[in-house]
Amino acid sequence: MKTKPFNSFELAQMQFDRVSEQLGLDAATRELLRWPLREYSFAIPVRLDDGTMKVFRGFRVQHNDARGPCKGGIRFHPMETLDTVRALSMWMTWKCAVVDIPLGGAKGGVICDPHNLSQREQEQICRGFVRQISRNVGPAVDVPAPDVMTSAQHMLWMLDEFEILEGAKSPGFITGKPVGMGGSLGRKEATGFGVVFTLREALKELGIRLQDTRACVQGFGNVAQYAIRLYQQIGGTVLAVSCWDQEDQEAHTFRKQAGIDLDELLAITDQFGGIDKAKASDLGYDVLPGEAWLEQDVDILIPAALESQITADNVGKISTKVKIIAEGANGPTEPQADATVNDRDIFVIPDLLANAGGVTCSYFEQVQSNMNYYWVKDEVLGKLDVQMTSAYIAVSNLARKEKLSMRDAAYAIAVRRVAQACRDRGWI
Amino acid sequence: MKAASADTIPRFERQFFSSRDACMRIGDGALGGKAQGLVFIRDVLGTLAEDVTRGSEVGIPRMVVVATSMFDAFIARNDLWELALSDLPDERIAHAFQQADLPVEMLGDLRALMDEAHAPLAVRSSSLLEDALFRPFAGVYSTKMIPNNQPDRDTRFRKLIEAIKFVYASTFFAAAKSYVRATDRTTAEEKMAVIIQEVLGRRHEDRFYPDISGVARSFNFYPTGHARADQGVCNLALGLGKTIVDGGISWSYSPAYPKAPPPFGSAADLLKNTQTRFWAVNMGQPPEYDPIAETEYLVEATLGDAEHDGVLDYLVSTYDGPSDRLVPGIGVAGPRVLDFAPVLVTSAMPVNALVRALLAACDEALSAPVEIEFAITVEPGSRRARFGFLQVRPMVISDERVEIQESELSASGAIVASSAVMGDGVEDSITDVVYVKPASFEARLTRVIAQEIDRRNTALLAEQRPYVLIGFGRWGSSDPWLGIPVRWGQICGARVIVEATLPEMDVEASQGAHFFHNISSFGVSYLTVHHRETAGIDWACLDGQPAIEETEYIRHVRFEDPLLVKVDGRNRRGGIWRQH
Repeated sequence: MKTKPFNSFELAQMQFDRVSEQLGLDAATRELLRWPLREYSFAIPVRLDDGTMKVFRGFRVQHNDARGPCKGGIRFHPMETLDTVRALSMWMTWKCAVVDIPLGGAKGGVICDPHNLSQREQEQICRGFVRQISRNVGPAVDVPAPDVMTSAQHMLWMLDEFEILEGAKSPGFITGKPVGMGGSLGRKEATGFGVVFTLREALKELGIRLQDTRACVQGFGNVAQYAIRLYQQIGGTVLAVSCWDQEDQEAHTFRKQAGIDLDELLAITDQFGGIDKAKASDLGYDVLPGEAWLEQDVDILIPAALESQITADNVGKISTKVKIIAEGANGPTEPQADATVNDRDIFVIPDLLANAGGVTCSYFEQVQSNMNYYWVKDEVLGKLDVQMTSAYIAVSNLARKEKLSMRDAAYAIAVRRVAQACRDRGWI
Repeated sequence: MKAASADTIPRFERQFFSSRDACMRIGDGALGGKAQGLVFIRDVLGTLAEDVTRGSEVGIPRMVVVATSMFDAFIARNDLWELALSDLPDERIAHAFQQADLPVEMLGDLRALMDEAHAPLAVRSSSLLEDALFRPFAGVYSTKMIPNNQPDRDTRFRKLIEAIKFVYASTFFAAAKSYVRATDRTTAEEKMAVIIQEVLGRRHEDRFYPDISGVARSFNFYPTGHARADQGVCNLALGLGKTIVDGGISWSYSPAYPKAPPPFGSAADLLKNTQTRFWAVNMGQPPEYDPIAETEYLVEATLGDAEHDGVLDYLVSTYDGPSDRLVPGIGVAGPRVLDFAPVLVTSAMPVNALVRALLAACDEALSAPVEIEFAITVEPGSRRARFGFLQVRPMVISDERVEIQESELSASGAIVASSAVMGDGVEDSITDVVYVKPASFEARLTRVIAQEIDRRNTALLAEQRPYVLIGFGRWGSSDPWLGIPVRWGQICGARVIVEATLPEMDVEASQGAHFFHNISSFGVSYLTVHHRETAGIDWACLDGQPAIEETEYIRHVRFEDPLLVKVDGRNRRGGIWRQH
């Protein structure tokens, strides 16, 4: 029997249906919010370096903009589908709403594999993408950002094309720009730091001294590195990290009983976040299998790599000592595993909340770019902390009051806010 | 006083202003001397009897202490050590600190604080060495007042972090480095905590200030009249305490005899020698942007402004010309004299009783004579006062006793003879004298002279040579027309300081008041010499010595044999003699 492929949009709609049931939303609101407001699907013809023409498919989905201009990344991925982009745009709507920033949700994508494309070819895709969508995006309409396999460079190409078409400078059109070219200080730290701000609040709520805790982190990319940095700075100990080994085509976990030394590991890490196995071993790290990160006797797990990492198959391996899972990645816990985690009374800081530091700082970048006035880093990170902490407290209060899991409470707050905005505008 | 770690006060909560704790901390590590003193004395204040406070509210203004772990992180993460310990000018160091980022761990708390705080704040240093050495670093590091009244919370937050960075930077200013060097410790050992504290006061148009600020000491080195040294001394001023701390004109009296007449010949004399200007936080139009200036948000105002603000009722007497006498209060027209008579003479409010009770309580708690700083505001239309306790420091009193006969002052070999001294003891190892040349001295040049002395001080500190310093007018005066405006760090290598007068610089002596704490804790002798004194200073002897260095305004000489310095604090005599 052929199994049906995983469809993330169906999952997103299922989650929404469950929350709308809990909230008792009316039918019109449900119908409005379980589908995107607008979807754009278009062709991007590009002349390749070998002289041939190739037509790429691009999408931009604007799920909801009742609370403000849409916000969401643009992904370059060979397996990109419209449904994936739809799901991600819906999650962006909820994420912006849960941290209470005045933005809606969107997502974009191009079916392509940047590994097989030259820089010039990628530039042409970026410019072509903007030419197709420029009438439907902009600082007050929809603000793109980098995402899977797109970077600050891609954003600059897109911005440049947009400004050519507009005939004016418009740095607020896109975020994720390099500092000095319209980017915000603190952006690279924002997601990882945001995870730790929420973790700090959770520990306070549970009455646990952060200095007495140990954590394991999955992933060693930007989010993980900055989460580890701040967690250690405020007194926590990271026992192990895991990351993908490009050469072995499998993940490894690097463990040191006294706690990992972040700078030491960064010195032996490649640009993709892969740690050199042999050098780590020489430095006294135990090199363990990829999944070993979630089997350790620690207080905190921080999955900060990919989606679907804690599954029904491996959830049983989580140590009984674990008290908190802070989801640095998007969707790291599959629904079946989530039920088990809840049954075991492990406190989950859901992705929607825990990793919202990134989009919050993108919002700050957007504000700064629109003003063409840039803040000092202290100001960015101070605001980020307050915004994330306030969001955490709101979710936690609702979870306590209505006896919900943190994930359900986060969704409930987000959906309620968006639904209210739609009602206030008279849409429904 | 037992050393206190940050754990002694609770961690900052983001609902700070609605919490019961008026004192919280951000970060870990140490609290520094100033904060530790306040935490220590917190409980003492609760023991004051109701009959002493008479309904007045006595307490420590709400404060947040940023503990030293944040300072460590700030310096380390921004890689500032090398720059901080270099000999770059203060402005460069301050600028580099402004460019650096505060540790992210404290930012959210500070921002939350500024979301709630709308009153002026004092951002004050609280140094670790001050604590470790049991020695007050008075006036060594910077304090910055911010009005905190901007409608935009981003601006308020930005001003706060600028102020914190400025206080951090002041740890490494040249004068502070010299000071630490004089303690045989190094700046690299220093750590700075920061106190963010509500400024006690009320707003009057564009000015925010307390009605009264005061400094009281339980030991008086210069008792007059019937007062004894152990009965202490208190200085009161209108407005912010900067007037007193900087050595400006304030009202000085003995807490044992608050009604005793002041030591002036006539009421007219008194008029000339009482405070006429005061400091306030500037709540008005933003001044020139200057985050590395301590006085960026301060403004100096006049007694006329204070009368317009309606705060003089309890603070002044009015001079009645025909009778040549003072009438307490502002009931009649005439020049106002800030003598605090309504609160001291008529006991309209229990200010003196509170000062005495606090001195006694702090003395007992610290088992040593103390100096306290406080501020008072009076609720309009009532006699209820809010008494804010700002600082407590132990005083260092020498046990040494020396007796000098009057005849010794005019004995041969006397280079300096004084009948107004502070300190007690004998010193016979100093060979170097740095003196301001009387022939080229002019009051308009005192700022230049201060710089020349600073350079000499630095050089002599490096050579580890203590020296005698002789100059004109009040050392450390904030008014350059009344003396040489040095900070303590610029003269901290001196072991003997002589404050002399000249006919063209004939001001009332400060008697070391500006540097009172530093002088007493370092065991520095302070001699005051009026130019009309018969013995005075033997300029010919000084000028006859070959100069080690001579500039336009100062001269540095070295005697072959060590000089003999003797100071008799009881009889208030002292001098410096050549030893042959």
